Order: sequence, then C-alpha cells, then structure tokens
Amino acid sequence: MLLLYALHRLLGPRGRRWLIALVTFVAGLFYGLEYFYPAKGNPSANFLTKWIEPVSIMFSVIGFFTVGLGVYSLCHVHGRNVARRRPGWHNSLAFFLSMIAMLVFAVWEHYLHLPEPPPAVLPWPKGVYEVLFNGLFAPLQAATFSLLAFYIASAAYRAFRIRSAEAALMMGAAFIVMLGQVPVGMWLTSAIPASGPTAFFRLEKLGEWVMNWLNTPAQRGITFGIAVGAMAMSLRVWLSLERGTFFSEQA
Amino acid sequence: MEQRPPSDLWQRLQQVPRHYIYLLLSGVIVWQLLAPIRLPILPSPPTRGVYDAIRAVPAGKLIVISTDWDASTQAETGPQTRAVLEACFQAGKPFALMNLASPMGAKLGNDIAVEVGKEYHAEYGMVWCNWGYKAGFTNVLLAMARNIPKTMGQDFYGKPVAALHMMQKVRTIRDVGLVIEITGLANMTEAWVGLIQGPYRIPFAAAYTAVMAPGYYQFLDSGQLEGMLVGAKGAAEMESLVNRPGAGTAIMSAQSWAHVLIIALIIFGNLGFVLTRAREKGRER
Repeated sequence: MLLLYALHRLLGPRGRRWLIALVTFVAGLFYGLEYFYPAKGNPSANFLTKWIEPVSIMFSVIGFFTVGLGVYSLCHVHGRNVARRRPGWHNSLAFFLSMIAMLVFAVWEHYLHLPEPPPAVLPWPKGVYEVLFNGLFAPLQAATFSLLAFYIASAAYRAFRIRSAEAALMMGAAFIVMLGQVPVGMWLTSAIPASGPTAFFRLEKLGEWVMNWLNTPAQRGITFGIAVGAMAMSLRVWLSLERGTFFSEQA
Repeated sequence: MEQRPPSDLWQRLQQVPRHYIYLLLSGVIVWQLLAPIRLPILPSPPTRGVYDAIRAVPAGKLIVISTDWDASTQAETGPQTRAVLEACFQAGKPFALMNLASPMGAKLGNDIAVEVGKEYHAEYGMVWCNWGYKAGFTNVLLAMARNIPKTMGQDFYGKPVAALHMMQKVRTIRDVGLVIEITGLANMTEAWVGLIQGPYRIPFAAAYTAVMAPGYYQFLDSGQLEGMLVGAKGAAEMESLVNRPGAGTAIMSAQSWAHVLIIALIIFGNLGFVLTRAREKGRER
C-alpha cells in the first residue's frame, strides 16, 4: 500500500491515471477470477480463494478511510462558511457544535466500562450521550422521515384522479393492497370463509395475489434490466472507460 | 398565481386545503394511538416463513441478524427487530447482531436486544452478542464467509468476538443456520443473496419497510427468501405469532384508519372530479 502511495505521489498526471487504472483492473480481475475459476477438490475453493479473506479485510480498512475523508470534507466546507460569515453560516456552526458534542460524549461513554448490570444512576457523560442520541438525534431523524406520511396523504388525494381506464385499474389495485395490508381490511371481508373456493375474495388474499402475481413479474423485469445495466456499468468502471471520473477531471 | 376559490361543493371536494388533510391525518393517528380499536391480526405466509425459519435452525447453529436501519425507519424496523428477537429467545436460538450500513442501527438494535434479553434472563455472550458496525459491506460478507471471528474483530462493547462463550464453535458462515436482514435500505438483500445465500446455501429471511417490500416479493417467489416481514404489518403479525403484542400492533391500528382516511379522501376527490366533468359535458351539449 505504501509503495502504491509513494508511486502515486511520484508519478505525473498521466502516470497516475495508468496506475489507478491498473490497480482497479487487477482488483476487479481478482474477484472475477476467484468467482469464476473452476475449483479443484473442495467445491468452493480454487488457488485464489485463500486470498479472499485478507484482501477483503484490506479493502474494508481502505474503505474506512473514506469516513475520515468525509469528516474532513464536511469540516472544510462548513469551516469556510463560518470563517467567511456566508449566508446560513449559523447552520454550519450548529454542525460543528453537534458533531463535537456527539464525538466527545460517544467516545467518553464508550470508555466508561460500566459494571453489569449498570448502576441505577448513570454517570453524567453516559446520561448526556443518551440524551444526545436517544433524546435528540433519533427523534429528529424519525420526525423528518415521518413527515412523508403527511405529504403522501395529501399528494394521493390531489393526484389520484380517474382520468382513464388505466388510472381506474391502478386505483383499484391500490385500494386492494392498502386495505389488504391492514387489519381493518381483513375485518371488512372477514365474513368470507378463510378456506374454500371463496377465500380468494378476502381482501388480504386479494392483496397477496396482487403482490405475488402482478407485482412480482413486473419487479423481476425491472430488476433484470437494472442488473444488465449494472453489469455494463461495472465493466466500464473496471476497464476505466467511464468518463467524468477522476481522470477526465484532471485532464 | 393566486388560486381561485372553488365555486361549488363538487369543486370544493377536489380542493380540500392540505392543512385540513394534515390535521385529519394527525387526529386519526393520535386517536388510534390513545384509544385503539383492536382488530384481529392474521399472520400472512411471508411472516410465517420468517417465524418457521427461526424455529427450524438446527441446534448448534447461529442466527445472524443484520440491523441495517436507523431512526428514520425505526417505526417499522424497531418493532420488527423486537419481534424477531422475541422469536429467537422463545425458540432458544442463539443469535448475533451485526450492522453493515446505517451505523446507528448497531446501537438501536443493541438497545432492543438488551431490553428483550432482560425479560428472558439471557446473558450477553452466552445466548446473544452484537458484532457491531463493520465498514466494507460486500468485503465484510466475503471475508466473514471464511472467518467470522477474524473479520468481526471486536464486538459492540470492544471485546474480542473470539473470546465470547457463544462464539467458541463459530468459525465460518457454515456455522450459521439463518441470516435475517432487517433494513430500510435497498441493495442489502442483493448482496446477501449473491454472496452468502446463493454460494453457501445459508437460509435467508428479511424484514423491510412497507415502501420497499414490493421489490422483494420476487426473492420470496424464487425461494431465496425463507420469509419476509413487510413493514409494521409484518412486525404486528410476528408479535401475534410470539404472543407479545407491542409497538407493531399499536401502529397497525393507527395505520388501519390512516389508510381508510386516505382512501376516503381519494374517493371524495374523484367524486368531485367525475361530477364536475359530467356537469361540464352536460353544459357543452
């Protein structure tokens, strides 16, 4: 890794481009070969299999450096906002305050080593951490996401109009699935016997039928299309053919 | 551009101000959370699949539960996690929590396990453990398939995973009897199925938020998923199977009537739309 880093620093832009393309190609080739190369003896092992574990751990460690890069990038952007008093700089200040507070108390709490079972009165750093995490961070995130329910209710009311036969069909399917997913829907058709030829007309059964027989083939088709596209994209990235990456920006 | 106020009832039905809709929805949810109308919950086949898969794990094998969720989906994934853990404790199956994405899930899942574990007098490291958040996603899966203790390193509390009592006989993915993925994130299942369930034939089940579940029925149909919990409904159904009604059951009452309200609003809106159009057509004639 150090050798690669030293080479990266020493080479010019063209050399760096070739170095990165080579490392990307070799890394991709390793996983591809390991997966497709026929195994001898042990059905899940070939000559590359023993390297999967150390290579994967190495990539995990390299990947974790991106967390540091992310923190650096955030501090750089928000630091400039605060230093130059740009519009909304107080939001950037809030970022620094919350990040530092969470970082300090999370690390402090981690190294407290509380006895098992924990004492009735928690040490104050642990208490502060619990307030920050469970009392502030988690509810804020949950509240932001739960606002979606209100937007969806309003949007469904405004946008769902029977303007065509297809729209009517879609609305019918939506009603069946919406009611089939909740107990009140099951209750509505609870008079129909749970087994026998008429059981299909219970809302929960109709809902399952829509999901299994109409939704599944459509989703499978979409997934298949995405997979083919992802394969083509992966090939382009592996062979460093993709434009707009690090290389073209440098050029 | 300023919107003209609706002139008659049919037009008004199509243009109920959004504030009233928000207020109505809030009212229905609060009403059902405070004074719920309890209706029977029947476990669906996908939920029963998860429950049966947990109970079918052979003795000596471990269940791996990946809690890849955070507070944004906690209303659904939280009760799902609790119900799944209840099922594991009741069946006496040892399990390990882990986290591959949304690192917040490592703590939120741990908090639930600590709480539920106390109810079942389950000791940490003996019946359950938490491997914590591991960065690297697919690389972690590839590495853990061959060596779990080495890949996991330290657990959630900073102790070596290899030193935990319940991990003494766990070496590779072959020592795992079931993987349960609880998530609100796309692409987690694809990685588990591609790298673990497929190559090693490890039974795999999942719990998703209701909004993403439709995309995963295909894995259920193909047999790659043993079972699936769909949103709060899945959590409520699992709670009924383990006979421990909790947050999932409470949420279902609110969700039931919220769905009814949304359907009623759509019907009213369309009633106004159809009648207005019919009247306009009559005038044209």
